[in-house]
Formats: sequence, C-alpha cells, structure tokens
Amino acid sequence: MILQICNLIFKEFIQFRRDWMMAAFIIALPLLELVLLAETTGRGLKHFSMAVLDLDNSRVSRRLVTTLDNTQELDARYYPSDAAEMRHLLDRGLANLAVVIPRGFAASWDSPRSAPQVQVIADGSNSIVGSSALSAAEGVLTNFALDMALRHGTGVVSPIVLHTTIRFNRTLNFRHYALPAQLGFIVYQVTLTIASLTFARERELGTLEQLLVAPLRRAELVIGKVIPPLVIGTLNFLVLLAVTVFGFGVPCRGSFPLLLALTLLFILAESGWGVVISCFSRTQQQAILFVFLQAMTDMTFSGYMVPVSNMPWLMQALSVFVPLRHYLIIIRTIVIKGASLSLLWREVAALVFLSLSVLAIGLVSLHRRLE
Amino acid sequence: MSLRRWFAVVRKEFRHITRDPRTFFLVTISPAVLLFMLAYVFAFDVTHVVLGVMDLDRSTLSRRYVSALTSDGDLEVRAYVDDYEEAEDALLHGELDAVLVIPPDFEERAYSGSPAPLQAIVDGADPLVGGEALRGLASRTNAFALDLLPGGSAPATGLDVRGRAWYNPDLKSLIGMVPGLMAVVLCMPALAVALALAREKEVGSFEALIATPLSRTEYLVGKLVPYVLSGLASVGLAWLIAVSWFRVPFRGDLPLFLLLAVDYLVASMGLSMFIASLVPNQQTTILTVLMIFFVPSFFLSGLILPVNRETLWTLLAAYSLPPTHFIVIARGIFLKGLELADLWPPILSLGGIGGLTLALGLLFTRKRVA
Repeated sequence: MILQICNLIFKEFIQFRRDWMMAAFIIALPLLELVLLAETTGRGLKHFSMAVLDLDNSRVSRRLVTTLDNTQELDARYYPSDAAEMRHLLDRGLANLAVVIPRGFAASWDSPRSAPQVQVIADGSNSIVGSSALSAAEGVLTNFALDMALRHGTGVVSPIVLHTTIRFNRTLNFRHYALPAQLGFIVYQVTLTIASLTFARERELGTLEQLLVAPLRRAELVIGKVIPPLVIGTLNFLVLLAVTVFGFGVPCRGSFPLLLALTLLFILAESGWGVVISCFSRTQQQAILFVFLQAMTDMTFSGYMVPVSNMPWLMQALSVFVPLRHYLIIIRTIVIKGASLSLLWREVAALVFLSLSVLAIGLVSLHRRLE
Repeated sequence: MSLRRWFAVVRKEFRHITRDPRTFFLVTISPAVLLFMLAYVFAFDVTHVVLGVMDLDRSTLSRRYVSALTSDGDLEVRAYVDDYEEAEDALLHGELDAVLVIPPDFEERAYSGSPAPLQAIVDGADPLVGGEALRGLASRTNAFALDLLPGGSAPATGLDVRGRAWYNPDLKSLIGMVPGLMAVVLCMPALAVALALAREKEVGSFEALIATPLSRTEYLVGKLVPYVLSGLASVGLAWLIAVSWFRVPFRGDLPLFLLLAVDYLVASMGLSMFIASLVPNQQTTILTVLMIFFVPSFFLSGLILPVNRETLWTLLAAYSLPPTHFIVIARGIFLKGLELADLWPPILSLGGIGGLTLALGLLFTRKRVA
C-alpha cells in the first residue's frame, strides 16, 4: 500500500518538474510577494509629510515647528506661503498634514484673555495616514503646551509623568505585524491552489479514468494526492519563514517546533479542502476561479486586516469555520508574542476539528464523485 | 491595418464576452462584487482602544485621571487588573491593548510638587492599535497634567488645537478605502483579457489565426477594445456600489472619472496582455497576473500605507503598477473633487504604462507555432 502511494506521489512530482513555470511560481512569486510587503511596511507609520503655514513667524512659532519636525512621525517638508498653496499641497497628496500657526501666536501666550490657537488639517482621503498624522501632531502640541506652561511658571515641574513601555514589538514596526500574517496567507494560497488542481487536471486531460482503474484503493488515491501539496506547502513555509526571520529581521519569539507542528495541521486542512474543490471542478480553470473566490472570502473573515473583534457579530460567528482565521492568530501570537500552546488551545482545537471534518467530507464526497 | 479585419476580431470578442458566463462575470460584475467584499476587509477604524487599569492608589485623583482619559469615548476601560501577572496575561491574549499602572502614592506625589510617575504598558503587536493607544494616552495625560498645574485651566496656559480632517471629516476608513479599492478590483477585466489571449494559445485557435491575413496589431487592438468597453460597464457598476451602498461622497465630475477609467483600463490591460504574451497557458496567466499585478497592488500602491519613497526599487515598482496612479485619480475625484488640471501626473503615467506595455506585448506576440 505504501509503495503504491509513493508511486503516485512520485508521479505527481514528475509532473511538477515538467511544468517548470508552475514550479517557479510556487517558489519565486511567493518570495517576491513577501519581499514587496516587507519593503513597503519597513517604514511603518512614520515620516508623514507635513506642510507648515507659519503666519506668525516668531521665535515661539519656529520652536513649535522644530518640535513637530523632530518627531518620528512628522517631517516638515513644505512651507507654503498662503492658504491656497497649502490647499494645493493637500489636494495633490504631497502633504499628508498641514499645520497653520495664526498671526499673533507668540503674543497670545502672554495675553491672559485668549488661548493661543493652532490649526491642524489632515488629508483624510487615506484615513489611516490621516488619523495617525493628526493624533501624532496633537500629541506633540499638547506636550508643547505643557512645556510652555512649565516655562512660564518658573520652578514648576509637571505634576504627573507618563512612562510608556511597549511590549512585543518595541518599535511598533509594522513589518513585524504584517509579515507573519502574509506568510500564513501565502502558504494558504499556494497549498490550496496546488491541491485544487490535482483531480481537475486529471479529469481535464482524461487521465482520471486510468487512475481509477489502476490498482489503487480510493483512500490510497486521496492520500497520494494530498501529500504533494502538503510537502510543497511546508517547503514554502520553511523558505518564507527563513526569509522573514533572517532576511527581514522579524524575531520569532515562540517555539519553532510548535509553530511548525501547527502549520502542518493547517496545511493538512487546506490541502484536504483543495482536493475536495478539485473533485468537484470539471476543469482546472473552474478550480482556480473557485479557489480565488474562496481566498477572498477567507481573507474577509480571517482577521488578516481587520481584527476579528471589530467585525459585526454574525461575521465573528461565521469566522469560526475559517481555518485561516485560527492559523493567523496562531502564527501572529507565536511569532510576535512568543506564546506557548497553553495560550492557544482554543485555536488549536478549532483547527483540529476543522481538518478532521474536511478530511471526512473529502473522503465521502470523493467516493461519490469519482465513481 | 485593415479596419474590416480588425472589426471582425472586435465582433468575435464581444460575442465571446456575452456568451461565456465566466468571462462575462469577470469583465462586468466581478469588480462590483469584489469591491463589496474587500471594502469590509480593509475598512478598519482604530478609534477604539481597550484599556486595563491597575489602580494601586485608589484615590480621588486617580479616579479623576481615569475618567479624564475616557471622557471622549476613544479609550475604553474594560477591566481593572490587580497585578502585573494578570496584566501580562491579558496583553498576551490580546484582550487588552494597554494597561495603565497607577502607583500607590500617585495622589500624594502629584500634589507635593515632585512628578508622580505613571506607567503604561502597551501591546505593540499591532502597530496601528498600539500607536493609537500610545498617542491617545500621552496627549490625554498631558492635558490632564496641564489642568493640575497651579492656576490650572486659565486660558493662558492652554493651547487651543483645532484638529480636523479634510475630504473625510470623520476619518472613516470606508470613505477613503472604497475609491482606492476601485483601482484594485478593476484589475479583473484586465485578468479576463489575459485569459482570453492565453486560451487561444492553449486551445489552439491562435494557430488557426496565424494562417489568416490578420496582423498582430489588428489582433491585439481588436481584443483590447471590447474589453475596455465592457470594463467601462464594470466601472459604472462599481461606482454605483460606492456611491449608493457605501455612501462615499462623489465630489468630482462623472464623465471625467469614466474617461480616466478608460485610461486606467488601457494601462492595466496593456500590462496583462504583455504578461499573457510571455506565458504559455491560462493557469500560469492567472497565477502571474494575480501575483505580480493584483496582490502587489494592495501593498505597494499606497492603498493602505503611503508609497515608500525611500528605496529606489519600491518606488519604481510602485509607480510601474497602474493601480498606484488610479488610486490617486479615484481618491482625488471622489473625495477632493479634483479636475483634469490637477491630475495630469497620474494621467500621463497611465498613458505611458499603457503605451509601453502594449508595444511590448506586440513585440512578444509572434505569429508562429511554438
């Protein structure tokens, strides 16, 4: 029995080697995807370009501009001379944020009647950038106000001081957050695509009948078809993890064997599901189209971008059935937070349950479809 | 180039689009469907930060401080924790975004003239939420400190910060995301063109065409026109979804938007035709288009984070992708009400990409049997 399965697996890999384009895409393109993402996220939410319209042009206003410029988040890049020019900078998207210091700004610090004013305008067309830049500027400004107040009353110190400690991702590096999830998504994509093509290809080429009359039991046939995507998915995972950790310096804080074991479980679930898809599609294109739609839906429910807890309750409930959701939590928590198994038992239990049920569905439906 | 031969290809391709349900779906309906789904994937508002408080002081001042932090509703105190172990556990599980530690002698020290230290432990795993927690805590703490100063809330000590966001005053991510996503989902008609070209190679009907007097230009342009026209229908559908379902304000000019959408469709279809001229079958075409066109356009194009201008190659990669330019156009026309004169850099770039990729596609489409 094992010999027969091995023969089938061997045959599958020979087919892969022939289709060298496919093989290149399985290794090279995921790598490209990861590198692209790493490069874009390397900078994170920093260095937003800022336009400063300083109508006061006093010592205090210039100090304020320097303070704003000295933060990591903001770079004073443009100094428009009037409001129209400032508007133009925001319209064209050249500046993410504009700060307007009105005339009489310095004088109003000394006047007891009116509070000094500053206007901060963010480009809201990209809300992440807009809100981060806005809150960064507001933080700097309140700090500046406190500092000014302390200077005025000589010898006064601030009554309270906030010390912050950032856990797990000290520099708030966006890369550390985005890459593990992308890694999980790529492994998902590759495994599902390959698995979904297995039977569809045989059917399209007309070789399925030959396989069915070959001296192979149905279970052997299925195992032989599930193993190649499993192997390729795992290899993909190892290569990409190495690139993420050694190439892009994302520390893997948790246990590697644990991560690998849980990844295998996830890949098993996805290969099983891919083979089921493959059983039901008449052509390879149908299979790929279905995988694409499925990937979109899974991405929606997985918490890849939006945390699951931010979704409406119905989506949260449905997301329990998406293996990718559990796997993304697992890979993120292990890599970023160094979590152990005891912290992840809910996700692991769900993944075990889902892979078992997929395999059961697979075996039953295969029996029907392949006869 | 013979107009009659060219028109024959156009007619044939139109017939194919309307007859084959899969192509019809890809070209006309799929962008609207994808927009609908993806908008929910990518619209995330990090306005809510969940806070835990370890109040070891339990004084009037500490309670006043906590209520000052949460008064505007952006920070929410979900739990009171008793010790660091509990705090650490909640952060590891991701149940809390940050834990605020108020030391036992907080009130006493704050009034005695020596600065009273406070500690905030922030979960940095998700930098968006972590950064929001960090900045929210810092600015509210500063404002509270200002209030505590002798002569506290006198106007002369405060600074009146008027923060506002233009184009999207509530900073709702959906408003900014939907026009940007239009660029990404309109890759689908381009995928359909690439598939149509690859299918002819795979099925062998391209060989039959070789025997006809049809030239390469007639062939490619004949394929392009029907897809651009039906792609325009999908732009209209996606626009309807954006305006009527997601209620994104449309401040610009609709004819201008449709015109520039044609510019974009030509550029993206040029790129996918170029890809299709290099790869042998439909399967590899789908993979290539998805992986070097569709997926990077999420990350490199400035949809989520601004285009990274620091390294030359990400800059080049970003600007050679058509979606990067169309995102500027779509956001500009939808939200900022921009006109033609404001948009010439992305328009010219799209024209350049379209022209170059079509020329390259033409160069690599050989009328011969492989």
